[in-house]
Amino acid sequence: MSPPQANQPLPPGYPLENYRIERQLSMGGFSIVYLAYDEEDTPVAIKEYLPNSLALRTAGDILPVISEEHRSTFRHGMKCFFEEGRALAHLNHPNVVRVLNFFRANETVYMVMQYERGRTLQEHINKHRGEIKESFIRNVFARLLNGLREVHTHKLLHLDIKPANIYLRIDGNPVLLDFGAARQALENEGPDLKPMYTPGYAAPEQYKAPDQLGPWTDIYAVGASMYACLGGTVPQPAIDRLEKDRFESATQKWAGKYSPQLLETIDWCLDLDYLERPLSVFALQKVLTEQQHAVHEATWIDNLSQRLRGLIGK
Amino acid sequence: MKFTIYQESRVGKRRNNQDRLAHCYSREALLMVVADGMGGHLHGEVAAQIAVQYLTEAFQREAKPRLADPFMFLAGGLQNAHQAVQDYALAKRLPEPESPRTTCVACIVQDSIAYWAHAGDSRLYALRDGRVLAKTRDHSTVQAMVDDGQLTAAEALHHPLRNRIYSCLGGLQNPQFDFSRKTTLARGDMIALMSDGVWGPLDDLRITTALHGRDVMQAVPGLLDEAERMGGPNCDNLSLVAMSWGENYGEDTLQSVETQSLPMDAHSTQMPEFDRRPTPLPELTDEDIENAIDEIRNAIRKNSQ
Repeated sequence: MSPPQANQPLPPGYPLENYRIERQLSMGGFSIVYLAYDEEDTPVAIKEYLPNSLALRTAGDILPVISEEHRSTFRHGMKCFFEEGRALAHLNHPNVVRVLNFFRANETVYMVMQYERGRTLQEHINKHRGEIKESFIRNVFARLLNGLREVHTHKLLHLDIKPANIYLRIDGNPVLLDFGAARQALENEGPDLKPMYTPGYAAPEQYKAPDQLGPWTDIYAVGASMYACLGGTVPQPAIDRLEKDRFESATQKWAGKYSPQLLETIDWCLDLDYLERPLSVFALQKVLTEQQHAVHEATWIDNLSQRLRGLIGK
Repeated sequence: MKFTIYQESRVGKRRNNQDRLAHCYSREALLMVVADGMGGHLHGEVAAQIAVQYLTEAFQREAKPRLADPFMFLAGGLQNAHQAVQDYALAKRLPEPESPRTTCVACIVQDSIAYWAHAGDSRLYALRDGRVLAKTRDHSTVQAMVDDGQLTAAEALHHPLRNRIYSCLGGLQNPQFDFSRKTTLARGDMIALMSDGVWGPLDDLRITTALHGRDVMQAVPGLLDEAERMGGPNCDNLSLVAMSWGENYGEDTLQSVETQSLPMDAHSTQMPEFDRRPTPLPELTDEDIENAIDEIRNAIRKNSQ
């Protein structure tokens, strides 16, 4: 297998179809995402299919170099990109990123998505490490799960949920980004298109048993993302947990700081055995929105009022 | 020794064939082996190849023309094959999750007695008069659940964990090998070794029916056809070697073996070559790409109205 090489993004100002590239937003092993503007100067996010093990764009070039040897695999990998486009095109949900256009250029393919102003949950965690409130976690994830339910209803899996793929709009409403949904189809498609995992967020079955993927796989990642909100740390990667489980349960680590019910729910999602996790998003959502969360951080006023109630009760 | 033998391996609907199989015989002993490789990239394939090659080479070294002790041969051969797979992973510096692993089932016949051993969920069936005389117990989570009474055999057939095994060659854990009893073969008995791609979609009755009373040359492709059909669009790799003891269907059968004709120290081995090249991907044409894009654009248009 060839070593991964760094691909160069398209240059700022580059005219791509009816859009103008502004700058690179992110780069993954599979694609590059740009901020661009359309003809009405509306900002959009454009994702370019460019798997770095198969195609290389060097500085100053526009067309990527795809060797004869990789040509067939490169084209085959487009299928996943199409799957992602197809998946998103059929989804119309406020908590799922919206796809606006899809086109072919520069010997590869592009997907245009709505650009959201705000920041990723990862950025939020970095900024507010250790001081994220329980109500924030419950609110963001209960709404995000609405979007995920829609995804699962369409028989799709996200498979790469993590705080960096959860976008918080300025109004605080979360949006699920970056659909690796179809990547599972790649499992048997050859050595150069290995599915990608994010350590800490990927469920054990993503490494060990790709035939056992299901809604529970996304639920593990949701649990890990909530865990990351608690103290800014990622749970021990599942692959290492299978060897030697050093996972510090949320219940132990954050007792007293968050309600036991939330912490237990997070640990429940992070069970290594998928049969033990919440089996559907709906089940999880129900727990997150239960009224129980009124039992939040006990303050001295709560303690006092409890004691008073106790006295009155007598 | 007189027997007829036939083997075949198919890729199914997968991109690579990670199964390996071989048989090899001297004047007085016969070895049959099936291995089903696991692990990312091509490593599973390599693991299966190492296991099968290691056992056949050991057989050729030691069966001159008899094995001193068939069970000792199997125990030593499988343990060493396990280490050979581990050595490969070490040499390639493969991290544990990617480490090559393989199931393995191997059988020796000598003095009309069959001896076998296995790790994982590749199976051996010993058949007599169209019934199962003996069969290996899979080292799988599901089989353990069936044994505990937590599952019925019918439920096990579609259980999501049916592919999870707890013993194999390669990897950090030491494999568990199960050894058979000494099984004396009668004329007409059949021994069949197969990967889970063959038995997975079928039950025992279908397997025995397909193999019973037929020449192995027809029975093997017939059973593979059936498994492939039942396996559907995700059909796994399929490998099957079947041997019919003391039988001879017609004088001209190519697969009929009379080992007395072999010189004392000679061996005959059948092992497919290691095919390095994966089967080519179906080409995605410009038209396919345009069609896919049109379809997506239509869906976007529809959904935004």
